[in-house]
Amino acid sequence: MDATTSSIILPGAIIGVAAGFVMHRADFCLAGAFRDLFLFRKTFMLRAVLLLVFASMLLSDGARHLGLLPFYPFPLMGAISPANFIGGTLFGIGMVLAGGCVVGTLYRSGAGNIPAMLAVAGLVLGSGLYAEIHPAWSAFARSTVLFPGKVTLPQILSFDPTWLVLAVSIPSGIGLYRWTRRGSMVRVTPVEGYIQPWVAALVLALLGLASWMVSGMPMGITTSYAKAAAWVESALVPAHYSAVAFFKSTPLKVVLPGGVPLCGGPGATLDGIAQVQFPLILGIVGGSFISAISLREFHLRWRVPAGQMASVLTGGIIMGLASRMAPGCNVWHLMGGLPIFSVPSILFTLGLLPGAWIGGRILNRIV
Amino acid sequence: MEDAPAFGRVIAIDIRGQVCPASLLITLRKINEIKDDIQKCGARLEVLTDNRDSVGTISEAAFNMGYGVGTEKQDGHYRMVISAAG
Repeated sequence: MDATTSSIILPGAIIGVAAGFVMHRADFCLAGAFRDLFLFRKTFMLRAVLLLVFASMLLSDGARHLGLLPFYPFPLMGAISPANFIGGTLFGIGMVLAGGCVVGTLYRSGAGNIPAMLAVAGLVLGSGLYAEIHPAWSAFARSTVLFPGKVTLPQILSFDPTWLVLAVSIPSGIGLYRWTRRGSMVRVTPVEGYIQPWVAALVLALLGLASWMVSGMPMGITTSYAKAAAWVESALVPAHYSAVAFFKSTPLKVVLPGGVPLCGGPGATLDGIAQVQFPLILGIVGGSFISAISLREFHLRWRVPAGQMASVLTGGIIMGLASRMAPGCNVWHLMGGLPIFSVPSILFTLGLLPGAWIGGRILNRIV
Repeated sequence: MEDAPAFGRVIAIDIRGQVCPASLLITLRKINEIKDDIQKCGARLEVLTDNRDSVGTISEAAFNMGYGVGTEKQDGHYRMVISAAG
């Protein structure tokens, strides 16, 4: 086993399997957390998501102090610009229409859900579409960059992140403690093998930290959808593929402690992005599959109303497009960037709110 | 699940395989459509779903609306019966 396999690929797959299993058991739907706030005025899942962000914040700052993080902040976090907010808004619309975010559609695919599989196909299509608008969009993003060379609030304001962690921890900790005391972090449900979302949130926070320690980055998977689009285009329209600048970019260029180099981008090659993200993606699908099979809940059901299938495909396309425009998906920003006060992640999350509201309005008309 | 006493006709909806939150929206609309019949014990709503989250949210919503809910697992999916409480 070479160094890359033992240090990145195998741990990534293990993290993915654990995440997929836990997410399926808890039905840990990040898209639902934002959607239900507007559609049903329910905040149960959002509370678990807040716990996930809170736990990730404490874990990542603790790990930073202990010197366990290869990079701080991590690579692939785009610059601060209005593109983050616009990407977040579009992503919010897409995830509601798709019935799940980039990870939600993966774990549901692993459990045999056909609409989720169609959403994944939409994500690939949307990522391919982004490649066509990349020159214009990246020019806009570059021309509107704020605080060049800086990503997090503590970097901009020049103070130690721990002060902000402490300031946020006190009200968040009190709020979470009160919710716990009132029992509003727990759902009473008769489903078999249920894992409470607050437990899943803590497990996912630990897995996110493990991913950061192993691969130098928190969990993120969406560049791989652009890669899938690149493979399809290189096979079907090779001349066009070679002319698209986006597929030649290599935003990831780092060397992990231990001397393992990671270099890659959205092009159709098995590079550093593939080494980090593919095991995670396959692991999430596999973990969810194991969970569903063990509960005898894996079923392929094809009879889904056409309106829902159209909504899911459209949502997937919008999410694929938005995750490259932002850049980054909700898991990347909520579990990775927000806990370290990354400004692009704060803008992306703020963008998710109007996006989820608009998505909910559209969905109400379709269903 | 103990089957509810056979008060009224059973109206069934099969939302297995459908997208979240369509399962909850469709169920809520159906409940609203037949609420008078349910309250008069003239009907019960049977929902078949394989969406794990919806089992919890449908139970919670129906309970908050004052209905009784019974759930059982059958062949890899969940059968829920929403009826007049008590």
